[in-house]
Amino acid sequence: MNVRKFSLKKNLALNAVFITLITASLLAALVIAYNFTSRYVYNEFERQKIDVLEATFKPYNDFFQNKIPEISFYQGYLDSASAAKYCDTVLKTFPFVHRIIFYDTQISNHDVPYSYTANKLSVSPKAIFQFGYKLPADSAVIFKASLANTSPRLSIDEFNRMAAKLSVYLQNADTSKNIVDEDLFGVFYNITPNRVTFMNIPREEELKIFKSLMLRNSEYSPEFEQDILSFKLNPSKLTVINNHPKLYQDIKIKPITFEPVNTDSNLVITELPLSGAFASNKLYFTSSQSFLSLELGRRFLPFAVTILIVYGVLIFIGFLIYRNLRINNKLFKLQYDFVNNLTHEFKTPLSVIKIAGNNIKSASQLSERELTHYGKILDEEADKLNDLMNKLLSFTQIENQSIQIKNSRVNLEVFIQNMVDAYQIKYPDFNVSYHINQVEFFNTDPVLLSSLFQNLIDNAYKYSLPGKKQLHIDVGLQKADIILRFKDQGIGIPKNEMENIFRKFYRIQSEYNQQGSVGLGLAFCKELVKFMHGNISVKSKVGIGSEFTIILPYT
Amino acid sequence: MFRLLNILLCIAALQFSLSCNQEKTARKVPLEDFFRNPERSNFQISPDGKYISFLQSYKNRMNLYVQALNEKDVEFGSQARRITNMLTQNVGFYRWANNDQLIYMNDIRRGACLYSVDKTGSNYRELLSDCKLGLKLINANNLRNSELLVALNKRDSTFFDAYSLNISTGNLKLVAKNPGNIFRWFADDEGELRMALASDGVNETLLFRTHDTGQFKPVITNNFKSKIEPVGFCDYDRNCIYAISNINRDKSALVKFDCGTGKEIKEVFSHQDVDVHEAGYSFTKHKLIYAGFETWKKERHYLDSSAKKIYTSLQSLLPNTEIVISDQDSAEHKFIVSTFTDRTQGAFYLYVPSQKKLHKLSEINPSLKASEMCSMKPISFKNREGILINGYLTLPLGYKLKDLPVIVLPHGGPVHRNSWGFNSEVQFLANRGYAVLQINFRGSDGYGKKFMIGGFKKWGTAIQNDITDGVKWLISQNIADKKRIGIYGSGFGGFCALSGLYKQPDLYACGASQGGYINLFTYLKAVPPYYKPTLRMYYEVIGNPETDMDYLRAASPVFHADKIKAPVLIAQDAKDARSKINETNQFVRELRQRKISVTYIVKEKEKYSLKNPENRIEFYRELEAFFAKNLAAK
Repeated sequence: MNVRKFSLKKNLALNAVFITLITASLLAALVIAYNFTSRYVYNEFERQKIDVLEATFKPYNDFFQNKIPEISFYQGYLDSASAAKYCDTVLKTFPFVHRIIFYDTQISNHDVPYSYTANKLSVSPKAIFQFGYKLPADSAVIFKASLANTSPRLSIDEFNRMAAKLSVYLQNADTSKNIVDEDLFGVFYNITPNRVTFMNIPREEELKIFKSLMLRNSEYSPEFEQDILSFKLNPSKLTVINNHPKLYQDIKIKPITFEPVNTDSNLVITELPLSGAFASNKLYFTSSQSFLSLELGRRFLPFAVTILIVYGVLIFIGFLIYRNLRINNKLFKLQYDFVNNLTHEFKTPLSVIKIAGNNIKSASQLSERELTHYGKILDEEADKLNDLMNKLLSFTQIENQSIQIKNSRVNLEVFIQNMVDAYQIKYPDFNVSYHINQVEFFNTDPVLLSSLFQNLIDNAYKYSLPGKKQLHIDVGLQKADIILRFKDQGIGIPKNEMENIFRKFYRIQSEYNQQGSVGLGLAFCKELVKFMHGNISVKSKVGIGSEFTIILPYT
Repeated sequence: MFRLLNILLCIAALQFSLSCNQEKTARKVPLEDFFRNPERSNFQISPDGKYISFLQSYKNRMNLYVQALNEKDVEFGSQARRITNMLTQNVGFYRWANNDQLIYMNDIRRGACLYSVDKTGSNYRELLSDCKLGLKLINANNLRNSELLVALNKRDSTFFDAYSLNISTGNLKLVAKNPGNIFRWFADDEGELRMALASDGVNETLLFRTHDTGQFKPVITNNFKSKIEPVGFCDYDRNCIYAISNINRDKSALVKFDCGTGKEIKEVFSHQDVDVHEAGYSFTKHKLIYAGFETWKKERHYLDSSAKKIYTSLQSLLPNTEIVISDQDSAEHKFIVSTFTDRTQGAFYLYVPSQKKLHKLSEINPSLKASEMCSMKPISFKNREGILINGYLTLPLGYKLKDLPVIVLPHGGPVHRNSWGFNSEVQFLANRGYAVLQINFRGSDGYGKKFMIGGFKKWGTAIQNDITDGVKWLISQNIADKKRIGIYGSGFGGFCALSGLYKQPDLYACGASQGGYINLFTYLKAVPPYYKPTLRMYYEVIGNPETDMDYLRAASPVFHADKIKAPVLIAQDAKDARSKINETNQFVRELRQRKISVTYIVKEKEKYSLKNPENRIEFYRELEAFFAKNLAAK
């Protein structure tokens, strides 16, 4: 008994250590995952602003890369009406363009008022128009050479800048070579904060002509049409596209010099400067700590769930191992009991034989009566031993399926009557009755069948109180099955033991089986029935009796 | 096991033969064979009829060869002597100047380069070699006393004076000064400079004088829509000329014209449906030989009985073949004849009427077998306005003539037309299994003045409608598979292809443009503002950028990249003045941004021209792959 206590203690300690370790590592995993997610969220907060910038800046890029070069497609032919149409589409599609100034330009070597002159080359505005959203129609014309009361003075500065760029380029350019794209960008675009100005790119042949107009004293030249369009941009009309609404609570466009005065310590801030004509502005991203925590929670939840699931599985496996160990432990105990009982069982007949042998040996003379008496004792006890051995052997045989069924036609009436008669002789106080219904013959192995009967009748006798040792055997047919019922008025089986009684080496702990039982009977029966392709079941009530039912195929 | 294999093989063989019976397609002729430079071309005969000259490829460039004509044995090749040594350029134009000397030019149109060489290959002389100048030949077909009349812009780069160039000495002498507006000079049969055409860019004026000592007097001035094209001088009356004219008539006619009065004397020949587009004239007889007109194919109306006899006997020797007399000796005893049909590029023959015999000189492209080529059928249909539109349909050989993939091939110009005859591009595409549709849409040449003017300012509108109607007609004939129609053209044809892609995005499965105009503003801008009259003409034909802004914008593909849905192939010459490379780049970029598949063939550095065989093969290979991918049966 000491051994078993010790093993239980050891298990407990092990379990405790296991559970502690698991819990500790679970907590550690959760903490690490949380920290990791937290760092990730803050990194994302810094990283995804590029994404926002790209989305927000896409219309500007469209405008700059597709819509502005379109001016060149008109080859300088734009006039107020067609420019108005072009500007209309720009203003409609790109809300951040709030005003467009169109300089209908001519290049020649004439002396024209308001012209920008470089050597002989004169770049002059024929007319200046402005277009804008909700701009009154009468304010469209800023200047027209033919109208006396207009003056380009207020908007000529940008024009002059473009003209200057062109003339500087013409002075330096080697027009015999191809124009390079980089040159084009520097010369025909003027990008200043919140303003893009573009002059349609002349053809190479025209650039050559311009250069010769500039440097040579040529005749009165024709007028070359050029278009300059200046787009005034309003950064606040640039629609911020927050494609990470879970990261950024608020995104605003602020001047690049903007610095928040009272920074809330609860606020996480990052910024990204814009480029191109919006270079004087920046995207200003803010999120409160709690807002980010929410996002953190959202991102952490799947991690946590995964970790918990993994640990749940671990603990379940631990439990399965523990249970397995316990069952093995029980089995060990059962075997231990079995050996105990078996020894006991063997010991009784052996001691009887020993006593009888001793008596014979020590007696100087044996009377006839004594001789038969001892002979009978020896014979009986030897039979008992043999019986025991047979039982053990056949059980193992059946369990290993190493015997073969030898079917023969059994007359049930005769078979049971013989059985009952034998027990009547063995236990005169045992009252066995039987009733056979509708069947006469049964095709089966008589040895196996008698083993079944013996075990069940033995049990009925063994587990019945003296004076109530009664058994009724009922045989009947049900469809293709033969049904054998053994109904006694014994002590019954408690409910919680019901499922164990057919297990090997199991015995109900009770006063009735202190000796003479190895706990094989019912397990043996079960194996037998299984071997005969049948089924055994039990119904029982403590103190009233048990009924074992065996169903065997009747073929 | 072997038996099973045998059976399987038999089944496979059976299936193979069955499928062969179902669709017996023609052999896929290698691409190179279609676009080969002819081995020998441009045969000419010396004025005395003793030598034959021709162009032949030498180190992949066309060079001039001369061979003595042996009456009995006209076998060519080994005895021919190469007399030029052009290694970077092809010999383009050449003529026999007299019995011993030949003059020739390269095939690049820029620069005044004229060379002469003896028929033996000796005495090579650079008569003119100034790459900055331009050169026009005035009477190269009727050279007198080794004096060649040429026009050179030597005095002023903007206009051409007439000079007399002595072939033997190389002496250059100014014959007539150009007041600045003459763009073409004419010499009479004796080599006297007697006629000129002047232009202010829009209006053409015919100038005339009865003797080369007199002053040029204006005879008649026409708007560019009408024209008078001098053909030759009448025999007796020094004021009389023959000309093709459409003044006061819709279809051009061959007329006799009095330059003294400026009035037409009489109509020599006209056709009720089509223009007279050429006239045969003999410098020696001073008379008209035939009037050429083009219905569904080129035809001739003979005006000279001896010429008619020669043509008739030739026709009986070469039945079912089109014949062109390309050269003859001065005695008119020997003729160089070239032939063609719709299925062959033809051959050169030497014809000696006295022997009634034809000697084959050379096959133009022997690698193409006429039996493997496809026949070109004239078609016509009524467009949506009820006007009859003509065209040609070439169906692939050996295919079921139902639900075919179609390639529409709009011609360039648009004042130009498709003609019946051998067309390498058409045959190449037809050989690849496509039906090829060519349409002489409104604005095409040859169907009269009104029809041509019908295309003015109708680029991408009425012209495109005619193309669309043609395609729909072909679909209604059950010949076209409406899901597999491609459109391809070069120049104006490329413009039509791109227009089709954005105006009828559901009609075409793909489109290819070879140097197609993509922006009409750019096209207009190619005319320098100095040439105000020319500009006015352009404005009338294409559109005025000031008043027709909306039309020009709507008609320019560059503004409509967003409407194109089908895959596009674009080949672009970096130096093309009419479609600028940066605009094409922008166009391609926009298409690619919209995930439209674009095959873009561009050579940034060099002039991209399909004249160069390497470029030509490369381009057609790309084109073949492009159509194979996008017009494959689904």
